[in-house]
Amino acid sequence: MSDIPADAVRLAQAAPTAHRVRGYWSAVWNRLRYDYVTLLFLALIVLIVLSAIFAPYLAPLDPNKSSMASRLKPILYKSFILGTDEQGRDILSRLIWGGRTSLLMGIAPVFVATIVGGFFGVLAGYAGGKLNSAIMRTMDVFFAFPSVLLAVAISGSLGSGLINQMITLTIVLIPPICRVAETATTQVRTMDFIDAARASGASTASILVRHVLVNVLSPVFVYSSTLVSASILLASGLSFLGLGVSPPTPDWGLMLSTLRQSIYVQPLVCALPGVTILVTSIAFNLVSDGLRQAMDVKA
Amino acid sequence: MWLYAARRVLFTIPIGLGVTIICFALIYLAPGDPVQSLLPPDATANDIAQLKHYYGLDKPIPVQYILWLGHALTGDLGISIQTNRPVTDEVWRALGNTVSIATISAVLAMIIALGLGIVAATNIGGWADRLATAIAVFGVSVPTFWLAVVLVIVFAVQLGVLPATGMGSKGSNTFSWFEWSEARYAVLPIVAMTLTPLGILMRTTRASLADILSQDFIQTLRAKGLSETAVIRHAIANALPQILAMFGLQLGYLIGGSILIETIFTWPGTGFLLNKAILTRDIPLLQGTILVLAMAFVGINLIVDLIQTLVDPRIKRI
Amino acid sequence: MQSNCWRSSCWPRVRSVATSLALGLALLGAAVPAASAETQVRVAMTAADIPDWTGAPDQGYEGYRFVGFSLYDSLVLWDLSRSDVAADIKPGLAESWSIDPNDHKRWIFKLRQGVKFHDGCAWNADALIWNYRRTMDTTAPQYNPRHHAGQSWLIVNIAKIEKIDDYTVALITPIVDSLLPYEVPGWFQISPCAVEKVHNDYAEYAKAPMGTGPYKFDKVVAHERLELVKNPDYWDKSRVPKHDRLVLLPMPEASTRAAALLAGQVDFVEAPSPDTIPKLKSAGMNIITVPYPHNWDYQVRADRPPFSDIRVRRAANYAMNRAEMVEMLQGVATEGYGKFIESQPYYGNPVKYTYNPDKAKALLKEAGCLPCKITVGISTSGSGQMQPLPMNELVKEQLEAVGFEVTIDPIDWNSLVDVYIGGAKKYPKYDAINVSLSSIEPLQGIMKSSMTRYQTPNGFNWGLYSNPEVDALGEAALAEFDTPKRNAIIAKMHEKLVDEAYEVFIVHDLNPRALSPKLKGFVQAQSWFQDLTPISVSP
Repeated sequence: MSDIPADAVRLAQAAPTAHRVRGYWSAVWNRLRYDYVTLLFLALIVLIVLSAIFAPYLAPLDPNKSSMASRLKPILYKSFILGTDEQGRDILSRLIWGGRTSLLMGIAPVFVATIVGGFFGVLAGYAGGKLNSAIMRTMDVFFAFPSVLLAVAISGSLGSGLINQMITLTIVLIPPICRVAETATTQVRTMDFIDAARASGASTASILVRHVLVNVLSPVFVYSSTLVSASILLASGLSFLGLGVSPPTPDWGLMLSTLRQSIYVQPLVCALPGVTILVTSIAFNLVSDGLRQAMDVKA
Repeated sequence: MWLYAARRVLFTIPIGLGVTIICFALIYLAPGDPVQSLLPPDATANDIAQLKHYYGLDKPIPVQYILWLGHALTGDLGISIQTNRPVTDEVWRALGNTVSIATISAVLAMIIALGLGIVAATNIGGWADRLATAIAVFGVSVPTFWLAVVLVIVFAVQLGVLPATGMGSKGSNTFSWFEWSEARYAVLPIVAMTLTPLGILMRTTRASLADILSQDFIQTLRAKGLSETAVIRHAIANALPQILAMFGLQLGYLIGGSILIETIFTWPGTGFLLNKAILTRDIPLLQGTILVLAMAFVGINLIVDLIQTLVDPRIKRI
Repeated sequence: MQSNCWRSSCWPRVRSVATSLALGLALLGAAVPAASAETQVRVAMTAADIPDWTGAPDQGYEGYRFVGFSLYDSLVLWDLSRSDVAADIKPGLAESWSIDPNDHKRWIFKLRQGVKFHDGCAWNADALIWNYRRTMDTTAPQYNPRHHAGQSWLIVNIAKIEKIDDYTVALITPIVDSLLPYEVPGWFQISPCAVEKVHNDYAEYAKAPMGTGPYKFDKVVAHERLELVKNPDYWDKSRVPKHDRLVLLPMPEASTRAAALLAGQVDFVEAPSPDTIPKLKSAGMNIITVPYPHNWDYQVRADRPPFSDIRVRRAANYAMNRAEMVEMLQGVATEGYGKFIESQPYYGNPVKYTYNPDKAKALLKEAGCLPCKITVGISTSGSGQMQPLPMNELVKEQLEAVGFEVTIDPIDWNSLVDVYIGGAKKYPKYDAINVSLSSIEPLQGIMKSSMTRYQTPNGFNWGLYSNPEVDALGEAALAEFDTPKRNAIIAKMHEKLVDEAYEVFIVHDLNPRALSPKLKGFVQAQSWFQDLTPISVSP
């Protein structure tokens, strides 16, 4: 299982060095549009996301319709393009539907954690002093747990299920994001242009929005994007341990786990959920890397 | 620097306390009854109450925490409900088994990553760089537990060359790293464990080396007529603190996050113990294992930080 | 730090390094441990950990099967020597027993003479009474709360043991209990001398446990393996193990057990998952199955709608396409139409709810429950639960096909057991639960799950089923000391309960086992318990 990228601090320390308010995003786009690999994998992600969203229209068959007569059939058996699982359900349809849960597990916790962690990070960074200590020392306690251990501990305590898994992943992801946001904010805060803005009479709120947020946003965003793949892998690992979503919900990690029993019957078909997770994870990793480069956040 | 070191050490105390609170609190989120697994399905409520009293699980939670913390500070983590043996002994034994494969995996990952990283950083954009980077991306993207299952099927079941499960032919008590008939049991777990840190360390090595190689002083060295090997050696020396720091983190992650690999290979380390504790709701064992793992992680981070300060005095943290 | 990104602007095709790795590792493989003269049977259990070996096995019945009955004996034992009839009881540490003709609450047990514990300690009436106090008497120095928790349920119907002479005792029951001999197998007798030697410290005793069983304790590696060696002086000469060593390994993962057998690391595997069976067969393993009284069924709440209506209960039974379930399980189960199996003397001639979806729909309509919403608590794994997830998914589908609307709530095994023991009232959320249990004898099998006085939390009548006719039959059986007559009453009770559809009957487990071709002579009994002693190992 991939761990949460550990270079959070360095990533943030190396954050913004200049005003990047105007023209920044167009520069990013300019860099990105010639980065064909990132674009290619971005297209792949868009494809996966769209197929998950439009699962009801795209899935060739009912993902929950089982049939004992057609269990564990090979690829291209009759109408089952990617074969069937241990209950005779269409693998392709389940993979498409499973994308909903699995992508949700990758994206939703990162999204929530980015908002929550980002908020506390910016707050701590901007306020400094005691508030900073209070927030950051609390985060430090969570940092004392390797992510997998923390996830297993929380998940093992809360029990299995979709909501519990999301809560677990969110809690695991908040501290590193918070730390990145805090470091970036602290750095931005001490920069000259903030003082200049203050001197020119700008309000705290406007400083926060115009300068701090904008300059903090890109490292946090880039860092968060690297977490999507980690979150997907972590979620599938929890499912594998029986701490994930409940069946019969189609979910890649769960499919991988249950099909393991049938691997001697249909090795190829049973490998598909693993391959799907791998490919998706690679895609997110490459795209987040491309973004990092395009947004000129130094790593 | 000594001041920094002292502060850094002191700083771990509140963290450690926070960790104990989290460890303790987590367990009480749990559904189900902790003594249930000891009882037959038709045990009476009275039997359960009696057993809970025996294990002190009927006291108020804050009281349980204080008692537990007091004991924990003296190295007594309680008695495992399942095995009736001291948790400290259980975790200590398991920790050794985990640390050994985690360290070997981390070192192996480090060696390969250094090699790949150097090749990649000195051939940016070349085919060797791309291959090395592809390996790294695979490493950080693959679900390692899935890879572990595949390894078992290929090497244990189909080829029959390595064992599928366990630690040693007679259990971990008689395991030896110096006899192939025993050490072969560790091969697949190590391979499965190596891949992720390999990817991350390769990434760090490549990035830091490439960074240093592009700096002015390297040009100066080259201009002075130093051989390319000497230049690279110089660059590596400069990148080392960073790589070492990452190595320490990865080692910590491997030790703390071994649950999936150890569960699949029935490797009797802390991750395996953790899984058993979750399955059997063995509260003292679960608390003890999580606590020790978190503390180990804190300790490794501390050591890494101190070493980094030592080798790289430029780092001055608050 | 300046970065040129750790990826360059283009990624090469990700190539597999597995091929070269595979070659390298294949070269490392060859070494195989040398064969020794000692023969051993290595068993992969489904248990999550090594069951307790001090006399109160945990980890479900597997603890009794492999650890309890190997190291220890009980007054009464199960006769596990045949696979063609349902296992019945036979004399164990008691040679015979009879009810006192003048007092039907007083059983006379004659103890077996000349039996010694593994440490040489003598087996006699004093040892029995010492063991009774160890389990039941909180004031006794040898009292063990864990043993009480794990074993007292077996002897709740023994109020007192009176010593008549060294080898004769009277067991006093609080109620008239004709089934007492069926209740005590599994109450294990441990050596008083061994416990006294370590001053009643059971953690010390665990290092050298002493029973009278066919195997002696050799060593344990915590969480990994328990090693027993044969007891050549076992009192029953026909059951002296035909192999030297029995190694017990906990392996909760079915795929790990299969891989371990295929890799030659174990010889005897419990419950291989159905889909690994073809592979195991093709690798030369012997797959053994036998029908035994194990029920994979739904307990339903009979005290409130919808299942308080017998038509709804019957509809659920008619909705079950059991053949389809058996097919999904690759034939490792048989269709279940009652609590007992036909080879048991208690089966009788109950009605059979054969698959009839139309009738099920009609019944639901008649009951006015359409769609009939129910919530079912199931476990994600657990001893005897078979393959709970796919099986419950199939049940849900079959129930919904006739008009039920099923919400499945999967929780972990311990939580489900909590729901089961805590009782329906404590967890009102569930209309049904899926806890599968054995019915090797009548008391556990039907009485405790159907009679009013055994309603949870006083027994395991989870669904709070109550029927005066059933209660009367149960009491009559407990008061009848003539076995054939008693069996007839129990059969009648079973017929009544099936007619009442007091549970949803689904399948009986065949409990598949996979054995290495090296093992010979294993006879799989129709029981939860098994006798490993006849197994011989060919090189």
